[in-house]
Amino acid sequence: MQNNIGIISFGTYVPTMRLQRKAIADAVGWATPGLQALASGSRAVANWDEDAITMAVEAGRHCLDGFERASVGTVTLASTTLPFADRSNSGIAVDALNLNENVGNADSSGSRRAASSALIRAMNVSGQDKNTLLLAADCREAKPGSVQELTYGHAAAALLLGKNDPIAVPIASASIHRDLVDQFRSRESSFDYALEQRWVRDEGYFKIVPDAIKHVLEMTTLQPADIHHFALAGPVSVAGALAKKLQFDNANVTNPLHDEIGDSGVTQPIMLLSSALARAKPGENILLVGFGQGVDVLIFQATDKITQSQAQQKFNQSIQIKNTDDNYIRYLVLRQQLDLDYGIRAERDNRTALSTFYRKRDAITGFIGGRCTSCGMLQFPKTPVCVRCDETDTQAPESLAELTGKVKSFTEDWLAYTPCPPLIYGNVTFPDGANVMMEFTDFSIGELAVNQTVRMAFRIKDFDNKRNFRRYFWKPAPHTDTGGKR
Amino acid sequence: MATGIADKVAIIGMGCSRFGERWDCGHEELMLEAFQEAIADAAMDKPEIEAAWLGVFFQEQNSGKSALPLSQTLRLPNIPVTRVENLCATGTEALRGAVYAVAAGACDTALALGVEKLKDTGYAGLPERTKGTFEDMWLPNSTAPGSFAQLASAYAATHKRSIDEMKQAMAHVSVKSHANAMKNPKAHLHRKITPEQALNAPMIAYPLGLYDCCGVSDGAACAIVTSVENARARGLKDFVTVKAMQLAPSNGYEMSDSEWDGSYTVTTRLAAQRAYREAGIKDPKKELDMLEVHDCFSITELVVMEDLYLSEQGRAINDILDGVYDADGNIPCQIDGGLKCFGHPIGASGLRMVYEMYLQLRGRAGERQLSNPALGLTHNLGGIPVRNVASVSVFGLLAA
Repeated sequence: MQNNIGIISFGTYVPTMRLQRKAIADAVGWATPGLQALASGSRAVANWDEDAITMAVEAGRHCLDGFERASVGTVTLASTTLPFADRSNSGIAVDALNLNENVGNADSSGSRRAASSALIRAMNVSGQDKNTLLLAADCREAKPGSVQELTYGHAAAALLLGKNDPIAVPIASASIHRDLVDQFRSRESSFDYALEQRWVRDEGYFKIVPDAIKHVLEMTTLQPADIHHFALAGPVSVAGALAKKLQFDNANVTNPLHDEIGDSGVTQPIMLLSSALARAKPGENILLVGFGQGVDVLIFQATDKITQSQAQQKFNQSIQIKNTDDNYIRYLVLRQQLDLDYGIRAERDNRTALSTFYRKRDAITGFIGGRCTSCGMLQFPKTPVCVRCDETDTQAPESLAELTGKVKSFTEDWLAYTPCPPLIYGNVTFPDGANVMMEFTDFSIGELAVNQTVRMAFRIKDFDNKRNFRRYFWKPAPHTDTGGKR
Repeated sequence: MATGIADKVAIIGMGCSRFGERWDCGHEELMLEAFQEAIADAAMDKPEIEAAWLGVFFQEQNSGKSALPLSQTLRLPNIPVTRVENLCATGTEALRGAVYAVAAGACDTALALGVEKLKDTGYAGLPERTKGTFEDMWLPNSTAPGSFAQLASAYAATHKRSIDEMKQAMAHVSVKSHANAMKNPKAHLHRKITPEQALNAPMIAYPLGLYDCCGVSDGAACAIVTSVENARARGLKDFVTVKAMQLAPSNGYEMSDSEWDGSYTVTTRLAAQRAYREAGIKDPKKELDMLEVHDCFSITELVVMEDLYLSEQGRAINDILDGVYDADGNIPCQIDGGLKCFGHPIGASGLRMVYEMYLQLRGRAGERQLSNPALGLTHNLGGIPVRNVASVSVFGLLAA
């Protein structure tokens, strides 16, 4: 690990919707009373229009905030819940992040260690001047009434890796592959099949993890006492027990964020690493463990750039925006676990003309409009003739994705089909003249008002259930700094 | 040098089917119902019609494409028939085609017929439809009420009026139209409503409740037009002529430019200015005796009163609540019950409005007859406030 690649930035994304675990236990407890033991805190739930790709894009934007997007040369999207088996999922993220199409991009999947393993690989790549963006996102559905329904959470995290001014540098890493099938999800099933946790703990976490940690520590001069942050992706109780077993200070165990998010699968190691980075002081060591049919262990040391990153505020910001819900049925419906009758209007065929999409992919995925080089007006979509000055072929591409908008008009429509009625939409204005009629997301009834400031979020626009396709576009979402009730 | 169409074309026969949930009828029966009334009214034989225009919007749920539905249903003798579609202005556009043909001297007599069979979808509201392969990828899956409801939020913000205040005026609009429709046997909805009912109705698209929305129905309407010379030659006196027919489609400004504040319809203003000029109207508030405007939603009627330069900007709420547009007000609006109570079979609506003008001008409106009206205006707003086609037409009497 002498090629000077370190962590330049991190970013996290947690959907605003949090389902109280008690709501789940209360709803299904008549059949499985044992779930009440897990019914504390809340878990993160992706909205109906979110998936691994959209969450990864949000984490990527958070991570790249303040960094030149042109600096990114490689993008990896790690997830076990990628929506497409054959269509580059990371490629959609590349376009949504408006990165150069010359970036090398890859999807990484097949294991909860997809992100931690990708991180080790990225650290070992040398000779690259450009940065690597590692996106981790998982949107795992759980069978109603299962333990996983309470313990899982939907979230994404991202790391920007490179040579310039890293906030943390790698010290050592190691991996072990060992086919302990603690849980699995075959291609044909929607849910994980999980084995008894006591076996996984005793034969998995308590045996495989110590082997790897011992090996990594031997590669360095570090002792357990030198580990300031022990970030282990695993069940809540396991991290503490392992810390004790391995003589790490229990106070240094990184909070697995069970009460706020839940187990976020592939995301979990990167989320916990981000959490540790958010609190690390220069010179402190972070030991990260990713688990699943083996283990990845990495040690990072925070540099003196860490304080400049305003890391703590950045991390908290993404966790704290939440909208707690106790409607279990709504959760089931939004996550397509319960097929609610939306009437005939919902039968609309959402087939996508993919040749049209190909021509317009910049507009749709990158929210790229046109700025008239003659009069300066920004407009969406980009058109041959400027709407304001009437000049032809004067519009230069420019994305509206990172602009904040202002609500000009809106409605809450109970007639239009949406999985989460009412469909809220309206006209949004942007700086320099642009106006776009858009569908809003993450707003509750009565929350929206004229003149409110909104941010843009990359979301699923429509599902085509006939062909198992989904299309994406940008939607105005609540802006963290501005509220407003009518 | 163009001389325009004012007083060149006479309407000598009109027909209108009963509007409603015509479960017993398809587009053919509806067309025939309107046509038979019109041709009897014109005291004319079918072979005298030289050209025809057909207005149909939702072809998929309706008659299908092309001129053939009209040509075949009426067994027209292979005369030229043109099918037109221009959103909710479709019916008016059919009439404009016929009127322009006669005004141009291309023929003496022409037919315009609009029809829509909406109630074969199996669900409430207008049929779902695609907006185009690119638009579907980014525009919201909006409905008509949701698109027009936005006028209310923007109007309230622009004119600093509360939504509650607006809802009072919007309720008055609907209560008035329901009262008017009680005197019209051809209207779909015959039920008096109270302001409280309107205000407390289920929400359709905030802030529009059920009674802020027009009905959905089947219907057809038809006009037979001829040159003024021909009308005179036929011995007609005091006949109805076309004073103006103007159309203004959006050019993308409302949809793409933040400058438009969303509180009014740009195109209605433009079409109105042109129509008043064409008809020689200097002061519409004083000269117009009656209006049939596009009250697809109560909020549309409210803002359109300003866009037609009848109410001062920001003052339509007051005028409406003061009864200016009531049946006994200064300028009765929707004296026939409007889209509110006729419903909006899209291809037919524009011609249905003209039908009421025609009846009123000729003193044949029965129980709801106004006192000696001489000039009336019809208005359509096709599409949605951010992109639409507005038509403004003026009709009046021409002494023989």
